[in-house]
Amino acid sequence: MQLSVTSHLEPAIRPDVTALPGDFEALVRLYRPKVFRFALASLRDLDAAETVTQDCFLRAYQARERFRRDCSLQTWLMQIAVNLVRDRIRNRRFQFWRRASRSSQSLDAAGRTIADRARSPEAQALLNERVSAVWAAAESLPEKQRTVFLLRFVEDLDLLEIAVATGMKEGTVKTHLFRALRAVRERLGESI
Amino acid sequence: MIAHLSSEQLAEWIAGQPSLMVAQHVRDCPACRAELADFRETLGEFRGAVRAWSEDQAGKYRENAVRSNPSALREPRSRTALNRMVSHQLAWALLIAAVCIVASFVLPRPVGRKAPGSDAVLLNQVDTQVSRTVPSSMEPLMKLVVQE
Repeated sequence: MQLSVTSHLEPAIRPDVTALPGDFEALVRLYRPKVFRFALASLRDLDAAETVTQDCFLRAYQARERFRRDCSLQTWLMQIAVNLVRDRIRNRRFQFWRRASRSSQSLDAAGRTIADRARSPEAQALLNERVSAVWAAAESLPEKQRTVFLLRFVEDLDLLEIAVATGMKEGTVKTHLFRALRAVRERLGESI
Repeated sequence: MIAHLSSEQLAEWIAGQPSLMVAQHVRDCPACRAELADFRETLGEFRGAVRAWSEDQAGKYRENAVRSNPSALREPRSRTALNRMVSHQLAWALLIAAVCIVASFVLPRPVGRKAPGSDAVLLNQVDTQVSRTVPSSMEPLMKLVVQE
């Protein structure tokens, strides 16, 4: 399977629209995969990710009149998703048994989805191991660092967009990102 | 000239905000360049893996939802979520209307409610008034006339 590291959005619809389209269904179709992916990568719980995704669009629908158009729709939706994920993490902070059992399954699943490119089996195995290490490192990051890391390296948001989505200052985002990267790289060093 | 990039300096580079010194070092040091390329490749693969995994999980979730509720095939979950609020409002409005209609038939009307027998008393009073030959104010005068 050939993997693409580019965004899932087509170039024709990639430019950030700052106005809500009349057809809310179109907005859901366009941004749902992104919101779901962020929620799933953050929570590593399929049901919780689905609930967060639905709540995100429900809240967006209810608040559509209050959308001030001072950021892109994508950033606005990610802002709602970040808040919902944060609430959910805080609510389940003590359910660590459930989280631990689920995350180990997710880690395997992530390792299996690595593309089979024109690499030697050894190189492929090494890359799988490195990706699994990043996945594990991302899980052990503090909440803010993980959010910033996922928004930057999975969702391709730039620092300013992350700042808007998380409600942090750009400098704070940068600090969290540096720390996250350092932790991930250290984990990579341990795994190899 | 620094020996090799530290973790923090590598992070600076990956985050896309390297200092001049770091940028200069990366240009001059093949070892650090190779390490950065490795790191970037790993992060790129990580992104691809998470995206593929997410799509895979979303597909599984839809399959499970359809298996447990076949009507989900006809209506996507996102649509049901968005319409849930509207449906609830409509259901409440219909319920309130039904209660009002039933109440209008069942509950007694407060206007026109009288004690039993009040109609008979009123009719007696009318009969008494009608059967008088003269108005009540002239009754003493009529007594004098009869006595004469």
